[in-house]
Amino acid sequence: MDQVATAILDTSNAILVLMLVSLGLAIIFGLMNVINMAHGEFLMLGGYAIMQLGAFGLPFFVALALAPLIVAVIGLIVEELVISRTYHRLIDTILATWGLALMLRQAVILQYGPISYGVAPPNVGFVQVFGGQYPVYRLIVMGVSLATILATFAFFFATRWGLAARAVIANRDMAACLGINTRFLDRITFAFGAGLAGLAGAAMAPIISIDPNSGLGWVVPAFLSILVGGLGTVSGPLAGAAGVGGLDSLTATFASPVWAQLVVFTAAILVIRLFPNGLVSRRRREA
Amino acid sequence: MKISSANLLGLGALVLLVVMPVVVSSWVAADFGMYFVYAIFAVSLAFLWGHVGLLSLGHAVYFGIGAYAMSIVTLGMVPGLSWLVSAWVGLAAAVVLAGAFAWLVGSLFFAGRRPLRGAFLGIVTLALAVIIERLAINSTFLGGLNGLLGVPPMSLGLNGGGPEIVEPLAVFYAMLGLLAVVSALVLAIQKSRFGLALASVRENELRASTLGHDATRLKVRAMAVSGALAGLAGALFVVQFGFASPSLIGFTLSADVLIWVALGGRGHIVSAALGAIGVRYLESQLSDMIGATWPLALGAVFVLCVIVFPRGVFGEVIGWIDAVRALREKADVRQTAAM
Repeated sequence: MDQVATAILDTSNAILVLMLVSLGLAIIFGLMNVINMAHGEFLMLGGYAIMQLGAFGLPFFVALALAPLIVAVIGLIVEELVISRTYHRLIDTILATWGLALMLRQAVILQYGPISYGVAPPNVGFVQVFGGQYPVYRLIVMGVSLATILATFAFFFATRWGLAARAVIANRDMAACLGINTRFLDRITFAFGAGLAGLAGAAMAPIISIDPNSGLGWVVPAFLSILVGGLGTVSGPLAGAAGVGGLDSLTATFASPVWAQLVVFTAAILVIRLFPNGLVSRRRREA
Repeated sequence: MKISSANLLGLGALVLLVVMPVVVSSWVAADFGMYFVYAIFAVSLAFLWGHVGLLSLGHAVYFGIGAYAMSIVTLGMVPGLSWLVSAWVGLAAAVVLAGAFAWLVGSLFFAGRRPLRGAFLGIVTLALAVIIERLAINSTFLGGLNGLLGVPPMSLGLNGGGPEIVEPLAVFYAMLGLLAVVSALVLAIQKSRFGLALASVRENELRASTLGHDATRLKVRAMAVSGALAGLAGALFVVQFGFASPSLIGFTLSADVLIWVALGGRGHIVSAALGAIGVRYLESQLSDMIGATWPLALGAVFVLCVIVFPRGVFGEVIGWIDAVRALREKADVRQTAAM
């Protein structure tokens, strides 16, 4: 019983974190029409940020709050220097962010070396779940992820800015004609998306190891999630992430971690092939 | 007949490369033997991406299949046929298997009324590369993470034996010759009816199919051609390098070849090939000097190039040659008119 409970909790954890990563990626894709291949690297930077802040002597949860902000600022700089110069060239955004990913990985290697770091989890102990022990920190990660996802939804569906952002997703030119400052929204969007990845990286830092390549394992599942779920809605990527993350975690638990990625990627490719618009689809005006 | 600027640049580069071994050491020449193989790989991607407009972010899959096929045959590992070690069969197997796999992948991705395209295609091919890399790492037959070691150099005998191409100069000229042949072959394909139809699919798929071209079949065939050439490159790589490992089949090399082609220029076969040779040469020169800063510099140059020269460095050069020649032609016309 406790094994099943642990598996369910682990799976929820994997899903929620992947949702966080996919959400940032999907917002950047949907709103800016930019494919950010460096998204995994923003996650990786989140891990290094919390590690560095911890080394400065900051308490863990203060560092956890600051790390996404640092990554968001990096995202803002990147948007200004690189991304804003490749608008309207979708394929070129893939290439530019691909090069950017290479640069970020290498910059981290130059600064911190190719070795992997660990961050000690905060001492919050264990909790009894159906007779088994479960680390409280993982529950905190889930809580933070869930709260952030809900906050993002609230932003999109309950604020004027969110309305403007959804207008841009639906029809960029028309939104601009109606006086929405798309340039400003682009900046905020990219920084926000990068920050979500940074938060995921920082929150996962005590659970996974931090190394220059730790972002690589995330970017493909995140992309597959948003393609499986479908573009043009905010809920599509979340559904996709639930499918991809859930299947991955369950296969890893009940079959073997080696085959998990194979099963998930193959299944995702088949779904994308059969439903090119995603499972939760809404017609998008083609530019 | 007027020769295109791209071909002019290609011929110029070919002449320079042919006389190059006179001035450089055989050590450098041996390195270039490897660069020419990378250039063949780049040509295979430039054909698919530049000419047909299909972005493959996982092109190393076909390169890796070629490399493993060649290794398995020349190491005598073909199940039930352990006497078979012919490098020629290995080459053929590499080309056929990589081409067939690309054909299968193409059929899966392009069939039906709603084929994968653009960025979606790119991401799915990337996922495929990760899958294949995983399979190679977990396959004991393929040597797992270590790969297959001790692949012999290219031997000219029918079933092994015979003279081997190991001498740096011999390798240099053999690979340069193959690169020239492959480039000429791809250029001929691009000029053929098949190639023109492919270009029309790239420009406007709906219009091409309305005019009666079977876009799906054309794209699948283009995938097969590109995959076969990438497989050839993989086979030629492994006979020089000596072992095949999962790093040849997955993410890293796919990223590398994409950078070579984009940096050189995806619009022309010549610019893509020069991009691969140029980046690899600079890498060998600069990584001694600036060490670990090299990938950072390459990334920066690449990003800058995407922003400033979307046609790629050599693509831009070809554009300039075109402009200069057009100006001179205009001047000629004016001169004749004045006379």
